[in-house]
Amino acid sequence: MKSEILYPGAFPMVRVDLAAGEHIKAESGAMVACSPTIDIESKMEGGFLGALSRKFLTGEKFFFQTLRASRGPGEVLLAPTVPGEIVILELDGVNEYMVQKDGFLAGADGILIESKMQSLSRGLLGGEGFFILKISGKGMLALNSFGAIHKIELKPDQEYIVDNSHLVAWSSTTSYSIEKATSGWVASFTSGEGFVCRFRGPGLVYIQSRNPGSFGAWIRQFIPVSE
Amino acid sequence: MTTMTSNALCFGDEFPASGAPCFVQVDGDGLTITVESEGDDGAGEAVPFSALTVSAGGLDHDHLVVKWTRVQGERTLYLKSPDVIRAFRETVPNHLSLPFAQAAEQVQQVRHRRRLVWSLVSGAILAMVLGLWFGSDLFVELAVSWIPVEWEQKLGESAYRDFLSHQEVMKEGPAVTALGEMTHRLTEQIPNNPYRFEVTVVKSDVVNAFALPGGYVVVFTGLMKKAESGEEVAGVLSHELNHVLQRHGLERIVKSLGLLTVAAIVLGNQQGLVGMMNQLGVELLTLKFGREQETEADLTGLQLLQRAKIDPSGMIRFFERLSEKDQGRMEWLSTHPMSTARAERLKAELAALPKKSPEPFTFEWKQVQTSLGSQPVAAP
Repeated sequence: MKSEILYPGAFPMVRVDLAAGEHIKAESGAMVACSPTIDIESKMEGGFLGALSRKFLTGEKFFFQTLRASRGPGEVLLAPTVPGEIVILELDGVNEYMVQKDGFLAGADGILIESKMQSLSRGLLGGEGFFILKISGKGMLALNSFGAIHKIELKPDQEYIVDNSHLVAWSSTTSYSIEKATSGWVASFTSGEGFVCRFRGPGLVYIQSRNPGSFGAWIRQFIPVSE
Repeated sequence: MTTMTSNALCFGDEFPASGAPCFVQVDGDGLTITVESEGDDGAGEAVPFSALTVSAGGLDHDHLVVKWTRVQGERTLYLKSPDVIRAFRETVPNHLSLPFAQAAEQVQQVRHRRRLVWSLVSGAILAMVLGLWFGSDLFVELAVSWIPVEWEQKLGESAYRDFLSHQEVMKEGPAVTALGEMTHRLTEQIPNNPYRFEVTVVKSDVVNAFALPGGYVVVFTGLMKKAESGEEVAGVLSHELNHVLQRHGLERIVKSLGLLTVAAIVLGNQQGLVGMMNQLGVELLTLKFGREQETEADLTGLQLLQRAKIDPSGMIRFFERLSEKDQGRMEWLSTHPMSTARAERLKAELAALPKKSPEPFTFEWKQVQTSLGSQPVAAP
């Protein structure tokens, strides 16, 4: 399995070359084009209950699509819904990533996806909701973001502060706490940041350069209100 | 050593920030760490227990973090594999067992706290749902308690005027005077009465009387003709007044329409108000009180009669008599179902009250009835 990001930037696609018999799973609706040798199946990852919990708890799709090169080698083109960069990670079986619910695009067959409940404070204030995806296993993992993806590398005990709605994925060796952006409550909100996450290394934190919620609020003012 | 698979992540200056996958082995006097990327020489790094410090770490405090210092700098190991942690724990020497236990306790605490918070939250949600399900009466009472009396009067008055406009109202005469006297004697005895009671006699053969929220009471002449004494009518009146005082009508409205609707009716725009009022008028007139509300009105009504020095046995007698015979259009009975149990309870309650010598009314009941143009009911 080989993967390559085409047109890096705001509107990228991923091309995945599959050898005969290989398959990948992708977010439902992610397939843009593929070779005629590829079969598209829909699959409830983690069984019916797993799929159900993913659907209701994380808001992710109920079905993942499985793209299988069942009739010989071929290639698949995949793209996310929103404009923004794609990043490809290689999981080695030991690394685990927490991914916010819209961040998953595609993964190799050896990738394991579970929904995971966050603690109450993180769920309420962390900006990713109560449930996130925990992705582990071995193989290629493609994540997508809104805007550009930026990787923050944290050494052991190194700290970094991230606005809560800019998170895409973070390693499970990091830990974070939610705090007010400034020391006062009022200033916290008038500064426009509200709550922030204080991450502590070691590990990686992937953030997106745009905040989907703020973008939605910004665009709403241009939508004409019907009578 | 080609079959080993990585079971931990090793962090250090020379490794990438995501950590280097490595294989950790526990033996008698320390750990042997073989980093995948440099593991071709097969040796691995042996670190004695004495050089290690342990703590809990990671996103959910579920990793065991092991640190040691080398000449080249500090290295940190993140362990998650249960097998390795168990092996480590079993062979761990004394100087590490305390921090180890502390780390384990920290993990326990985090998990425990999270479980506690979530069970508290789900408990609170469950309690709220159950509360709404079973305690709706309590919520209704609470909601009703902060509706101002003026609202209640607005609601009642509209339905009252609407109803009277279709009826033949008796403006004067002995019946009106008699009812006025009863009302006065009863309302005198109500402490801190927020209502201005308005009692109207309506010409109709229907044996009925009802009260609207806000203190608007209607008594039909049919009921007065059936009564054998003024005390009997006073008993019914006292019962109806207590429906108003206990705000039973409002409770029913809030229950069936919801508090928001009530607020919308009272505060809403005028156009919508009229339509809503008409709709509500129908609701109010067909309002049926619950059994508990009836019992409450019975008991407080009885007490009120007692305070007003009106013979309370008239109330019970009237109820009983109405229930015994099917006497034409007993509308009052259809909304006030009579049972022997109800009469018995009233009798028991009456017996418990201190005896007071009743003061008779100033009017002659027979004359009142004659003025209504009916044959006085023959005494049984």
